[in-house]
Amino acid sequence: MKIPKSTLAVAAVTALALAGCGTTSERTSDEPQAQSSKACKGADGKYVIGMSQANVAEPYRQRMDDDIKAAAAEVPQFEVKFADAAQDNAKQVADVENYITQQIDLLIISPNEAKPLTAVVKKAYDKGIPVLVLDRKVEGDAYTGFIGGDNVQIGTEAGKYVAEKVLPNGGNVVEIKGLAGATPQAERNQGFAAGIKANPKVKVVATASGDWLREKGQAQMDALLKANPKIDVVYAHNDPMAEGAYLAAKAVGREKEMKFIGIDALPIPSGGIKAVEQGRLTATFTYPTNGKEAIAAAKKILVDCGTIEKSQILPTRLIDKANAAQIYAQENPTG
Amino acid sequence: MTDVQDKPAVAPTPVEKASGGVAATLFRFQSVFGLLAVFVAAIIFSPRRDGEILFLSADNLANVVRAVSEIGIIAVGMTFVILIGGIDLSVGAVLGLAAVGSAVLMVESDWGFLPSIVVVLAIGLVFGALQGMATAMIGIQSFIVTLAGLQIARGLARIWSDGQGVAIAYGDGPNEAPSTFALLGERTFGGLVPIPVLIFAVVAIAAVVFLRISAFSRHLYAVGGNEKAARLSGVPVIRVKIAVFAICGLLAALAGVVHAVQLNQGSPNDGIGYELDAIAAVVIGGTSLAGGRGSVAGTVAGALLLGVLNNVLALNNIDSNIQLLIKGLVIVAAAALQRLRPAS
Repeated sequence: MKIPKSTLAVAAVTALALAGCGTTSERTSDEPQAQSSKACKGADGKYVIGMSQANVAEPYRQRMDDDIKAAAAEVPQFEVKFADAAQDNAKQVADVENYITQQIDLLIISPNEAKPLTAVVKKAYDKGIPVLVLDRKVEGDAYTGFIGGDNVQIGTEAGKYVAEKVLPNGGNVVEIKGLAGATPQAERNQGFAAGIKANPKVKVVATASGDWLREKGQAQMDALLKANPKIDVVYAHNDPMAEGAYLAAKAVGREKEMKFIGIDALPIPSGGIKAVEQGRLTATFTYPTNGKEAIAAAKKILVDCGTIEKSQILPTRLIDKANAAQIYAQENPTG
Repeated sequence: MTDVQDKPAVAPTPVEKASGGVAATLFRFQSVFGLLAVFVAAIIFSPRRDGEILFLSADNLANVVRAVSEIGIIAVGMTFVILIGGIDLSVGAVLGLAAVGSAVLMVESDWGFLPSIVVVLAIGLVFGALQGMATAMIGIQSFIVTLAGLQIARGLARIWSDGQGVAIAYGDGPNEAPSTFALLGERTFGGLVPIPVLIFAVVAIAAVVFLRISAFSRHLYAVGGNEKAARLSGVPVIRVKIAVFAICGLLAALAGVVHAVQLNQGSPNDGIGYELDAIAAVVIGGTSLAGGRGSVAGTVAGALLLGVLNNVLALNNIDSNIQLLIKGLVIVAAAALQRLRPAS
C-alpha cells in the first residue's frame, strides 16, 4: 500500500473545504470603525450583521433566527450571518471572536449564559461594534441595547388569567416548572404566584420540575394525576410541557376535567398557538423571540444613524381559542 | 516526536523503517501534513479585508489556539489512555467538576489560589486513578467504567454547585477569587499568546519528553500492543493502567481550571461532549483506537487541525449544520487513512 495517506487527507480536507466555501465575506469597505457612531454609513452602506445564537436545537431559538432572517430580507442593505454555539459557552465565545475578526458591522447575540459571555461581548462593543443582546442579558452595560420579554410579567398574566377567567370560583392548580436553576423558571413561578393572589380560592396543590421538556412534563404529570384526584388547571412553564401533561391526562381519560395553560406560543406547526387552535391547550402566552425588533433596531443604528433604547421589554399576549388561528396566520403566513 | 511514534509491542522491529520511502514518511506524519493542508486551505479560503488575510491576523491565530487549548490538554491525556487500548468518556464531566470545584473553592469558600488548584487537580487525579483501578483490577472495560464515571462526575458537579453555574469575580474581598487566578486567562508576550495556550504547550511538551525518556513509555506501548505479552514479559500492567487513567483525569481537571478562568464561571454543565472532541483529535492525530500505536505530537496536530478547520468554517460563515457534516467527514477520512497505513 503506497498511497500517501497524507495526500489523501489533503485532498479530502481541501475538497470538503471547497465544497463548504460557497460564501466568502469579502467586502469593499474602507475602514474598520473605531466607534459606535461611525458604524452608521446611511442608506447607501452595505452591512454585515453577525447573529450568535446559544442553541438552535431549542425551537424558540430556531424561531428567533428565522425571524431575524425574515426581517433582514426586507432590508436590502443587510446581510446576516448565523452561528450556533450548541449550548456551549466556550463555543459562543469563539463565535463572537470570529465575528470580531470578520469585522462585522453589528453583533446580535442571544447569550447561552450571562457571566461567561460578558467579557467577549464587551470586547466587541469596545471595538466599536454595536451590540444587540436578545432574551438573556449579559452583565454590566457594555452593549448597545437589550431586547427581551419579561418572564415575571408573563407569569403574572398567566396567574391573573387563571384566577379571573378560568377559575373564578376557585380550584386546584398543578404547576409544571422549567429547569431548576434557570432564571425564566424562577420568574415564571414567582409571577404566577403573584397573579393568582387576587383569588384566594385558587390553590397550587402540587408542583413538579419538567426541565422544559415535553416527555419530562408527561412523566411528571403521570405522577401528579395519581397523587391528586382533583386537578382543575395545569400551569406549565412552557408549551411543550403543557402538551406533555395533556398527553398524560388523556392517557387516563382525565383530559376533559382540567384546563392546560402554557407559555411561549411559537407560531410553528409544533408550537403552542396550534395547540390552542386545536383545543389541547386552553391558553398560552407569547414569549417574544425579539427577532423582528432586533433587525428594526439594527436598521435604526446602521441605516438611520439613530439611537435606540438601552432596554426594550416586549409585552406578552394572551392566545386563546378566540384569536389563535388569526395570530398564527399573521405570524406565520407560509405555514 | 518520531521516537514515540509506532513503538512496536514488545521487541522493536524495524518494519516501519524498512518499508521506507516517501509514502511511509507521509503516513507517519499524517496529521502534521493534514494540519499543513488545512492551514494552507484556510489561508486560501480566508475572507480578506483591504488585502489583509483575516485568518492570518495575529488576533485570529491567537483565538484559534486559545479555542483548542482545553480540548488539546484533554486530548494529550486521552492519547495515553487510547495508547493502552482504553478509552475515557469521563473527561468532559471531570472538566465540569473541576470548573465547579475551582469556582466554589475560590469564590464561595474563599480558599487561596494554590490550595484550590491543588485540591481540584488532586480530585481529577484520584478520580482517574479510581477509574483505572476499576478497569485494571476488576477488569471492567474502560468504556463502561468511564461511562459510569461520566455520570458520577456530572452528578458530583451538580451537587457541589447546587445545579447552578458559580460566577467568578476577582478581587481580595470575600466571595472573590484571588487575582492571581485571573492571570491564567490573560495573555502574555506582548498580549499575543494566551496563557491557556502556554499551559497546553507545556503539557504537550512534557508529555512528549516524558514518553521519550521514561521507561514508562515502553510499558505503555507494550500494554497497548499486546497486554498478555506485556504481562508475561514483566510489565506491571495494572500499575501502568492506573497511572494512565490518573494522568488523564489530572489533565481533564487542569482543562477544567483553564475553562473556569476563561469563562469566569464554573458550571456543572461545562464540558458536555468534550470527550468526543478529544477522541476526534486523537484519531485525526493518527493514534490507533486498538492501542499500541500513535503519538502525542500527532494528537497536538490533530487538535490544531480541528481548531483551524472550525475557525475557517466560521470565518466563512458556513452553516452550522454543514460544519458538523464536514467535521464528521474529516474524522472518517482520518480513520480511513489509518487503514491504508502499512502494518508494522
